[in-house]
Amino acid sequence: MSISLIDFYNYRVVAQYFPNFAVGIGTTLWVSVVTLFFGLIIGTMVALCRTSKNPILRQPAAFYIQCIRSTPLLVQIYVVYFGLPALPLINRRLDEMEGGILALSINAGAYLAEIIRAGIESIDRGQIEAALASGLTYMQRMRYIILPQAMAKVVPPILGHAAIVIKDSSLLCLITVFELMSAGLKLMSDFIMPTEAFLTVAAGYLSIYFMMLYISNKIQNKLRGQRQMEVRI
Amino acid sequence: MWEIIRNTMPFLWEGLINTTWLSICAIVFGSSLGFIVGLCRAIGPVWLKKIFGGYIHLLRGSPFLVQIYIIYFVLPSTGIAIFQLSSWSAAIISLSIYTSTYVAEIVRGAIEAIPAGQFEAAKASGMTVFQSMRYVILPQTIGMILPPMGGIYVIVIKSTSVLSVIAVSELVRQAETSILRYPSHILLIYGLVAFMYGIYCYPVLRLTRWAENRWGGIHVAS
Repeated sequence: MSISLIDFYNYRVVAQYFPNFAVGIGTTLWVSVVTLFFGLIIGTMVALCRTSKNPILRQPAAFYIQCIRSTPLLVQIYVVYFGLPALPLINRRLDEMEGGILALSINAGAYLAEIIRAGIESIDRGQIEAALASGLTYMQRMRYIILPQAMAKVVPPILGHAAIVIKDSSLLCLITVFELMSAGLKLMSDFIMPTEAFLTVAAGYLSIYFMMLYISNKIQNKLRGQRQMEVRI
Repeated sequence: MWEIIRNTMPFLWEGLINTTWLSICAIVFGSSLGFIVGLCRAIGPVWLKKIFGGYIHLLRGSPFLVQIYIIYFVLPSTGIAIFQLSSWSAAIISLSIYTSTYVAEIVRGAIEAIPAGQFEAAKASGMTVFQSMRYVILPQTIGMILPPMGGIYVIVIKSTSVLSVIAVSELVRQAETSILRYPSHILLIYGLVAFMYGIYCYPVLRLTRWAENRWGGIHVAS
């Protein structure tokens, strides 16, 4: 009796389901990019409110961040997707993609706001005073002095959070968004082959992760002004 | 509305207790495992560092949901008797392994933050590796390790919600069951669940922030 790879991992079935996995990876990446885009917009606005001196802006921003940080993403997704349509203002069923991206963006917004706030607060006080002494308005200070410096500091942690967003998007399979995880679950429910289904999905996420790691190393080296690549594992 | 809250509260309460148990088990086992991994990553031989580096990358690079499915579905399909896990043991094992990666990074960071002179001084005093860790290095790392553990605990509590997919009767699962009974009050029930997670996690987050301001600590991305 000969034992071959196909006994443990039936790659023919995986090859047959390859179109599903390809669509899944595409959706995962797309959802993550859109989430990161909206998350950065929400995060920047919330971080500006959070660091402002006006308590009417500061307190709600702090409350939002605390609410998001102390509840699980899964519950947030369920509240947005199943809960929001019950409100009289909305009164229609959210598309699963809309609901998923909305929930993920609200979630990512809070974490990104904390990252950006740390970046803003790390700017030396003297920079702000110099800008004030030069007669710059609040908008000009933010636009020309603080945000460019803060952005350079927050890029590495934002890339780290992008990797988290990609992993978090796997939860959207529970509200039937067809992303990478759902592709695996479809194979699982069609053939009941857990090894083929879930190890392939894991391999998909890992390849995205290592790609992100490579890009993030490159960008960090660029920010540090180094030419040579550091190989870290 | 009050009637529904009164009727679903016993279910949700049971879920909250299960969530608490799961998170405590996971933080205890996960910290022990993570401590060993972190120690090996910091002072172990090169091949051990490589192996555990791979371990952390594999677990950090894949979603927790995938890890649960692999432990609950893929392991039993190998046919080995010990891998026929119940949903509870699969839940505790997967969550502990997931927790260990975070703890390992903190422990490693803390040990590497100790100046090399300390290691050299301990060695010069004739201490063995075990003695130098026990009496010189580790006592200095405690202040760096403990404060961020609160943040890890919150991550663990929040991650237990994902365990609802393998039918562990924790808070989210109990909420899903309650919704079968009151299908028109989804927002209320999930709002209640979010509130219960909030009153559990918020004090821990506050305590963590206080401890980090007081003693400092290794920062990990959550």
